Amino acid sequence: MKRAQVLMIAATLLLLTAVSTLLFSQSKVKFDQPVLITSAGQSADVTIAGMLFKKANVQARAISLAKASDLEGIKTLVVVAGFSSKGLGAAGISREQELDRVKSLLAAAQEKKLKIVTFHLGGKARRGNQSDDFNKMAAEVSSYLLVVKQGNEDQFFSKLAAEKKIAIELVDKIADAVQPLAKMFEK
Amino acid sequence: MERHHIVALCLLIVVAVVCTLAGREFLKMHEPDEIIPGQGVTKIENLSTYFGALAGMSSDTKVYILDSGRPGATALVLGGTHPNEPAGFMTAVVLTEHASAREGRLIVIPQVCGSGFTCTDPLEGYPQSFSVQSKSKMRTFRFGARGSNPLTEWPDPLVFLQYPSGQQLSGNEVRNLNRSYPGRPDGTVTERIAFAVMQLIERENVDIAFDLHEAAPEIPIINAIVTHEKGKDAAASALFTLESENLQYALEMSPPNFHGLSHREWGDRSPVFPYLMETSNPIQGRLRGKTNEALVVQGVDQKYYEAAQIGSMRITYNLEGEPLARRVGRHLRGVQALLGAYMESMPEKRIVVDNVPAYEQILERGIGEYLH
Ligand SMILES: [Zn+2]
Repeated sequence: MKRAQVLMIAATLLLLTAVSTLLFSQSKVKFDQPVLITSAGQSADVTIAGMLFKKANVQARAISLAKASDLEGIKTLVVVAGFSSKGLGAAGISREQELDRVKSLLAAAQEKKLKIVTFHLGGKARRGNQSDDFNKMAAEVSSYLLVVKQGNEDQFFSKLAAEKKIAIELVDKIADAVQPLAKMFEK
Repeated sequence: MERHHIVALCLLIVVAVVCTLAGREFLKMHEPDEIIPGQGVTKIENLSTYFGALAGMSSDTKVYILDSGRPGATALVLGGTHPNEPAGFMTAVVLTEHASAREGRLIVIPQVCGSGFTCTDPLEGYPQSFSVQSKSKMRTFRFGARGSNPLTEWPDPLVFLQYPSGQQLSGNEVRNLNRSYPGRPDGTVTERIAFAVMQLIERENVDIAFDLHEAAPEIPIINAIVTHEKGKDAAASALFTLESENLQYALEMSPPNFHGLSHREWGDRSPVFPYLMETSNPIQGRLRGKTNEALVVQGVDQKYYEAAQIGSMRITYNLEGEPLARRVGRHLRGVQALLGAYMESMPEKRIVVDNVPAYEQILERGIGEYLH
């Protein structure tokens, strides 16, 4: 084998390694515990998120109506976005009150330099005017988005992620979120 | 006879014929639907067994009990809370005619709001009935109204004060069974039906109960499971199972301050785990076109397809529409998944129901395959 060929192969290998490391590191956005799960819009998807954490073996506390004071000692805030009129009814608050709560909670989390993650699990049912204010509000300040594809048919989340340079993971089904979730908190 | 006498006589005859025909149509709605209990049914009761005052009234209805003879949990399935939501009661009919209990006990009331099956809602242009071809014959079922027949509790008040919460609702909701729980023995017909259901839940020691509904495709709470807070973990677990089978559901919490609903009052007033499920029914929607039997059974509506094309629908709606078989299939699978999840959380309370057609099966073969 000529020396040039050897060099060429070596260079190619090196390049491949570099590229794969880069890709690998991109998919490895890391988060720390303790975790607080909250809702933005009071959909029952918080319960589903709680179930995902259980399946992924990651400890997390869920408080649907979390306030800034609940962030004490927390390292990662997971916001489950999506509006539900029944959920707001259950919480006994108006949509405006919920918007205010989420806004101030996110501001407090940013001030404390917590990592914020947005989950969108409810597909089309949690999209549309009523939901998208919550979806946008949470997603824009997140460093990671975990989205079930049906809720991103119009690229709402992927566009936002590209624009704000936020890592995003799209999964086909809610159950497929377990693996990326476990990875997020891998040591 | 003079000429004007002949004309008058002819007119009288025409009026008599029209009245007779219309009267027959009107009375037809009081003829009960034929429901043929399958081999799994071990006992048939009437709702009036649990509250005697319903006996002999149009609001009395059959209660089918499928007892495995083995210990376990008792499940209750209600169809026809809203008689204009056919997937709810057809699911209950399929269970009655085809299913059997292997462990525990299943109680089915296909047409719980019997009174509402005796009329249709005015100004909606709904068909009075629809038909499904079974293995042996054409089966016809009534398509009723959302609430109880206004003739049984006329007139509606201006404002309906829900009992006992005192919550104010619009007057016509007074005939809505799913606003009338827990009901009262000396109340309206609708409150009496609600009272009888509460009595049944108590006397039969029901552990888990389903109230099966449908709603217009454009409303947000659709293809949904509504749960009382005590049942939310089981509901979330069922939702995972259903999703893994490509059946998408939204999980919704029952608002504690919205009274009279099954998922609220059953849960608050008895140990039961209540679940309400919704499928998407184009004939209830405001965008619908021609309102006929075909729309009930096939669920194909061009306008809903167009609405989906421009992205204004929260659910997938394609040219296949939302056929009754698919809606019944969803309800059947939803009930099964929730029973499974319930057993996971309460291992000592087993309830296993056999011979329930699978979603794919009923979609492929139709509902008739599972009716006598
Ligand atoms: Zn209904």
